[in-house]
Amino acid sequence: MIDVKQILNIAHYEVVHIFKDLILFLIVFAAPLLYAALFGMIYISGTLQHVPLGIVDLDHSAESRAVVSAFENAANFQVIPEVNTYAGLEEGMKNGAVRAGVVIPKDYSQKLSQHQLTQILTVYDSSNLIYGYNTRKYFQTVLNTFSAEHTAAYLGGLGMTKQEITNVMDAVSFRMQVWYNPTFSYVTFLFMGLVIMILHQIGLLSIGLTVTREKERNSWIQFLCAAVPQWKIFLGKALPYFIANFFNYGLLLWISARFVNVKIGGSLALILLLGLLFNVILVSLGFIISLYAPNSLQVTRYLMLLSVPLFVISGYTWPATHIPMVLNGLARLMPYTWMAEGFRLATVKGLGFDYLSTTILVMTIMAAITTCFALSVTEGRFLCTARAKSRLIKILYRR
Amino acid sequence: MPKRNGTGRRNFIQNRVDVIMFSQSRAIMKRELSYMWRDKGLRNILLIVPLLGLLLFVGVYSYQRVDNISTAIVDLDKSSASQQVITGLKNSQDLQVIAYPNNYDHLRELIKKGEVIVGVVIPENYGKDVALGHQTKVAVLIDGTNMIYATNATSAILTVTRTLGAEIGIKTLIAQGIQPNQALEAYQSIEFREEAWFNPTMNYAYFLVLAFALNMWQQCCTLTSCMNIIGENGVRSWLQIKASGMSTLKLFFCKSLVHIGIFMLMVLPVYFFAFGIFRFPLTSGWPLLLLFTFVFTISLHSLGTLMSSISGNAVNATRFGMVIALPSFVISGFTWPLETMPQWFQPLAWILPQTWFFQGINYLTFKNQGWEFMSRYIFVLGLMAVLFYSAAALYAHSVKTLFRKG
Repeated sequence: MIDVKQILNIAHYEVVHIFKDLILFLIVFAAPLLYAALFGMIYISGTLQHVPLGIVDLDHSAESRAVVSAFENAANFQVIPEVNTYAGLEEGMKNGAVRAGVVIPKDYSQKLSQHQLTQILTVYDSSNLIYGYNTRKYFQTVLNTFSAEHTAAYLGGLGMTKQEITNVMDAVSFRMQVWYNPTFSYVTFLFMGLVIMILHQIGLLSIGLTVTREKERNSWIQFLCAAVPQWKIFLGKALPYFIANFFNYGLLLWISARFVNVKIGGSLALILLLGLLFNVILVSLGFIISLYAPNSLQVTRYLMLLSVPLFVISGYTWPATHIPMVLNGLARLMPYTWMAEGFRLATVKGLGFDYLSTTILVMTIMAAITTCFALSVTEGRFLCTARAKSRLIKILYRR
Repeated sequence: MPKRNGTGRRNFIQNRVDVIMFSQSRAIMKRELSYMWRDKGLRNILLIVPLLGLLLFVGVYSYQRVDNISTAIVDLDKSSASQQVITGLKNSQDLQVIAYPNNYDHLRELIKKGEVIVGVVIPENYGKDVALGHQTKVAVLIDGTNMIYATNATSAILTVTRTLGAEIGIKTLIAQGIQPNQALEAYQSIEFREEAWFNPTMNYAYFLVLAFALNMWQQCCTLTSCMNIIGENGVRSWLQIKASGMSTLKLFFCKSLVHIGIFMLMVLPVYFFAFGIFRFPLTSGWPLLLLFTFVFTISLHSLGTLMSSISGNAVNATRFGMVIALPSFVISGFTWPLETMPQWFQPLAWILPQTWFFQGINYLTFKNQGWEFMSRYIFVLGLMAVLFYSAAALYAHSVKTLFRKG
């Protein structure tokens, strides 16, 4: 029969530490919420709208005004009237006053009336590719509509009836459906990746200090001398962080769905299972780091610097298909990569256990390895420090 | 020994004082350098992280563009007309047809599993309907889970469908007895030309790699500068320094000089590799880039020093510094634009030096902005440095006063 009391005593001791150290308390309970709120605010609009657009109409004819009104009526653009010359457009694009431009040549209507080919130039700022790719897409949408209207008007001019025009133009219609994220929302795309990174970093950082703190306070000796099995020390120390992490996981999911309008669908059981496995990996990995790290400062420094590389190589934004195999292999060793991908498949695509079996299997293996390692490393660590322990006891005894 | 008059003696003493002051400053700087070198963790971080970060990100973004997006076509018609659609899709640089599933369910499975991003379904009797002028519908499905894929795929599909729609429309009109030149004119009298300015190949590596590496660099700088004050008054040697009668201002000035010098030395290889080896664009030239980076470095150091002054120990100083440094890249609007963030939040984002830096880097690398435009950025960063250093000094002084009173 396992004596749970010892584990609970150690857990209680750890909870007291958390509550006594205000900064640690804030890291464990407030930082995840704070960061999620911050990123939520940043991405709350979800889609890129009202792209500032400069229209250079060099023709000033009824035909060119039709082009202008097509863009004025487009929801994704906001025409900036002050930018109306080519020089102004160049300057506006340089200083960021506009992010896109349309140039209608001065002989536009003349060429149309003379049945000659004319050209409309569209430009977009690709120094920021979020603007670049989205604006390109918006241009295509507006120009497809405008083009269709122009064709319809031309055919009307040839004496065709409305029905005939519709028959010709709709001979083949391409019906485009964007699945899983039809509004092209960056919140759905990106936000939960950041939230999982917050949980990853806070989870590791909080438990990552649990042993280093004891070492710095010279209280680790008490654990070394206590007649408590090593695995109980790990479980006792990990328990408060495990509960806090799981609480944060639930809280951030609720906030994301409720206030940031993130799409979180799919099976609740699967979401909980992923969270559970991720949490087990984090607490055991964090404990191992803490056991081996020389001090709290180094743990804090190294862990914090890992955020950006882990996020970038995970394939969460830049697709894994376009990342070299070596780096992909490296990313596959990181729990964040599996959790972020699994969470997206479960919540955005709404896939079930059968599609996520590989992810769950890998995360289970990771959880098992890290947990076993945390327990066995603890034993090894105790053995390694046995000499140091006896030396310390001698010193204390002499004093 | 020659006798000195009053002025000569004063000059002599002044010279001696200058020599002592200089040698003292040199000693402080030497000491700081040796402390930084002895801190193995910090040394590794400063020497390795920014450059390693750059190389890692270069590797990740080595494909540079998301093209050849995997596409599957369900051709239920298998006619020459449907082949024309397939050819149109194949000709798109952004799409790569990799599979021909037999039915819609199979295609849906491929999209669910993430094996294809774009799916096209050409219905039965497509060729017949087109020839007879009957309406027919081609379904295009795009997996919107990853926006980098989705936006690119959507643009590619819109371009292909416009071209295909025009080709079919022209044929239909000709079949109905319209003159070929009129049919062409109906669909192709206006050409739409697009130009991507500043980054014409829409290269993600140009856009993100240097910025990510600089993000790592600024985090390393923050870690170091956070130790500026607490690294001294948080350890016992502080009492020795106080007892020696050395000016606090001089001590921190010399320490800061070393930090800022090291930060600049750290960023130079990053710039060398980025612009010299990997040939990333740098439109504004080196002098302005280096000046701008130098002023930012001072500003960032001042912020780190402020964090150091308000912290009780080195771990907390690191935490406070990183609380700002970690999300600063996202807040800066370098990727998700500032204009899309809530109105009330935008002025807050500009409080951070990182926002000015990353926005400025974008202008310098892509947009060839000169001194006139960048001077505002440099001035604000300089002003921030003055404010943050002053706040740090005031806070440290007030704590010291309180301590004395206590």
